[in-house]
Amino acid sequence: MAALDTAVQTRRRGGGALTVLTWFIGLLFFFPVFWMVLTAFKRETDAATDPPKLFFEPTLEQFGNLFDAGAGTYFLNSLFATTVSTLLVLLLAVPAAYALAIRPVKRTKDVLFFFISTKMLPVVAVIVPIYVIAGQIGALDNVWMLIVLYTAMNLPIAVWMMRSFLQEVPTEVLEAAQMDGATLRQNITQVMLPMVAPGLAATALICVIFAWNEFFFAVNLTASQAATVPLFLVGFMTSEGLYWAQLSAAATLASLPVVLAGWAAQKQLVRGLSMGAIK
Amino acid sequence: MTAPSQTDPAPPGPSERSRRRPRIDDTDAAGLGRGRAAAFVAPALLLISIFLIFPALWTLYLGLTNWRLTGLAAVEPEFVGLDNYLDALTDPSFHNSLLLTLLFVFFSAVVGQSVLGFSLAWTTRRLRPSIRSLLETVVLLAWIIPASVIAFLWIALLSRHDGTLNALLGTEGTAWLLEYPMQSIIIFNIWNGTAFSMLLFSSALASVPPSQFETARMSGAGTLATLRDVVFPNIRGHILTNTLLITLWTFNVFTPYLITRGGPEGRSEILGVYIYRVALNEGALGRGAALSLIMILINLVIASVYLRLLRERKP
Repeated sequence: MAALDTAVQTRRRGGGALTVLTWFIGLLFFFPVFWMVLTAFKRETDAATDPPKLFFEPTLEQFGNLFDAGAGTYFLNSLFATTVSTLLVLLLAVPAAYALAIRPVKRTKDVLFFFISTKMLPVVAVIVPIYVIAGQIGALDNVWMLIVLYTAMNLPIAVWMMRSFLQEVPTEVLEAAQMDGATLRQNITQVMLPMVAPGLAATALICVIFAWNEFFFAVNLTASQAATVPLFLVGFMTSEGLYWAQLSAAATLASLPVVLAGWAAQKQLVRGLSMGAIK
Repeated sequence: MTAPSQTDPAPPGPSERSRRRPRIDDTDAAGLGRGRAAAFVAPALLLISIFLIFPALWTLYLGLTNWRLTGLAAVEPEFVGLDNYLDALTDPSFHNSLLLTLLFVFFSAVVGQSVLGFSLAWTTRRLRPSIRSLLETVVLLAWIIPASVIAFLWIALLSRHDGTLNALLGTEGTAWLLEYPMQSIIIFNIWNGTAFSMLLFSSALASVPPSQFETARMSGAGTLATLRDVVFPNIRGHILTNTLLITLWTFNVFTPYLITRGGPEGRSEILGVYIYRVALNEGALGRGAALSLIMILINLVIASVYLRLLRERKP
């Protein structure tokens, strides 16, 4: 409240109303999420009351039910696909970004544009061929297919983002290290990477968010074996009717990892999503 | 999305680049040879080529055939030339979906997200950093949670029988998703996507030199005059980048499918959803591929308009 007051004081008339409006809008953004988390701790009977109950006896019953309903497999699939694809992205993106940042080859601009152009492909436009390829190589309903696709999907952002971080490392530092006899490997692992560690972490977190949230490839390419968390949620919505409390518990659990990742990466999000164009 | 660094839309790009440029071309700071540089880039390029570019090219070819998911044409697709494109361009439901997509992009992204995002960034810029960060986090929540969760939240909010909105407003039995499908997905998309504009404009406003604000204040400029004379000229690059990115994202978005399935009767069938219906629900793969190419072309047009505007900005 104190900050709110000072903010009001520093402004002329009308500023107060504007601040109140801002908080109201903030509340609108928060309300659905808040309601979801609240409902997740209700019993089904408490969730269905009209008017809605704000006070009730909280229970963890719904979360337990989820795992009885087989949520475990979905969560493990998501965890595996997200972790492995993010590691693969970093493994491929860091060298590429390094080469593009430090030693621009003649066609650097073309290469960068090539990476970015793939971000203009609507997924709907590539799903049919990908489905056929997956069928041919027997990779339908296989979590490795998702891993490969998530890696390809996140690579462009990761390359651009890492490049923008790597460009900030002063070339003098690298030259100095080289003069001191550092090999290329030492130069990368002991000089470069420590300096861009925060950028590397932010890149990884953004990849985690996109991989964990991905829905379209998962819904079209997997069935029971490799299905991920978003599918569990959608399947639940249709097959079980609408059990608000249980669905809320599932949704809350499905959101938790990305909310943590997003919170940690908040400062770097815009930079990542604008491909490093905005710092 | 195109933001090549050579035409870096955001200052402080230019000075940094020109400082770096001359030495980078002839020296090789870390002793990375040409061969190794290529080897570093190749694996990433290869993976993207196989799993994104190749399918896209295949789509290009498919658009010229009458390939179907099932039936005779599933086994032996025939080459039909530009028939799919002619069909698409004369199909009323394609026109309908194109129009809906335009409305969707214009109202939810260009107007909704930009204006709301900027307003939030503007009104919160003088709040204490911790408080502002809290507000940003809250808005960010709406952006970051999975689309499947968001769809569930909006169905729960707008549901006819036990929806939260009806309970709050006392409008028992109003089927928001059936009666106002477009309005519903537009508001949904504003709610979902504003975070990006807000964060972007926050960092844009922080880049405006405080002395200019001071000058405007001294000369007695009101809020509108300050925005017009000080803020907007300073953040034009940011505004352009923001508009391009949210336009592309909104244009390609698929989440509304999870909320309204394009219905009722195609009244919220934006382009991505329409293509999905034609290609996968109706099984007209060739036709869907042709539509996809049209969608990709529109993406390219949007991006090149942006690039042109950006180039004009920099003398």
